[in-house]
Amino acid sequence: MIKKILIVDDSPVARKMLKSCLPKDEGYEFHEAGDGREGFEKYKDIAPAVTFMDLTMPVMSGYEAIEAIINHDKNAVIIVVTADVQMKAINRVLELGAYMVLKKPLKREDIQSALSKVNDTFQKV
Amino acid sequence: MQKEKILSDQEIEILQEMMNISFGKSAADLADVIDTHVVLSVPFIRIMQVPELPTYFKEHVKEFKTVSVIEQKFMGRFKGDALLVFSSGAGRELIKMLHQETRAGFESDPIDILERETLMEVGNILIGACVGKLAELLKDVVTYTPPAIVVERNYDHAVSVTRYDPNDTAIVLKTDFSFDDGDVSGSLLLITSNDSVSWMKEALRLFIEQYE
Repeated sequence: MIKKILIVDDSPVARKMLKSCLPKDEGYEFHEAGDGREGFEKYKDIAPAVTFMDLTMPVMSGYEAIEAIINHDKNAVIIVVTADVQMKAINRVLELGAYMVLKKPLKREDIQSALSKVNDTFQKV
Repeated sequence: MQKEKILSDQEIEILQEMMNISFGKSAADLADVIDTHVVLSVPFIRIMQVPELPTYFKEHVKEFKTVSVIEQKFMGRFKGDALLVFSSGAGRELIKMLHQETRAGFESDPIDILERETLMEVGNILIGACVGKLAELLKDVVTYTPPAIVVERNYDHAVSVTRYDPNDTAIVLKTDFSFDDGDVSGSLLLITSNDSVSWMKEALRLFIEQYE
């Protein structure tokens, strides 16, 4: 089973924090991107099971990247990981097709419970 | 102390992510009060000598004819000044937005008093939530001086850096924002000096250690 996970965040620290919250023994294959455009390009290349997406990024925002990815693959599983926890931001990304929203700073239990939910729903990871 | 040596690249990245998280909380707190979406930008950390500050500030407000500035000092192990700089006309725009929500005060108070009070209230939310969250992430607690405000002044008369030691190094944490509804934009700048750098480096190390 392929277990590709794509992490899209302009902050290397945020990507590191996210990776550290994921279980070490699941054999996940991590791919990273530093902005929305790079994230979209990597998505097309690797077709990850799950994409973790920040919103506030240079070059292409998370909103635009979600839209591009969902247009490319309507079954994409995108988990937004953001410090922007305004209701309007959350509603907007869910309308665009994001699967769920997690608030920064991440907690291990939040991310593991999100992956379990994805697994239960899609048998993806 | 050389400015390049004060914080490492990784420490700056951690601080930048903390500022991102902290201003995100501010924006959410403000959006609870005003029915708008605060559009956030990627935070920016800059380390410079104090005499460079005026030119740096001016560069970032050059497109504003006038500015309104709310300033508050915060004190803890993490200490410094918070400067919330609003674009021209922001006060009056915020009155419309805020008082559409609360339906209070608009009729009875003179507009200049209302403008000042509204800017102070918005400043209190944005500065308090951001600095408070940043301090929490750094495992610190801060207290604040009462805010000072200047309304719709030319930049040169709105911000003074004479109180800073010219031999000191400033760490500037900056994030820009605008509102989806209403013609309001601005920047929040947190200026801290190298007084607390040793403590801050340790706090940043402890923060990232949770994720090792």
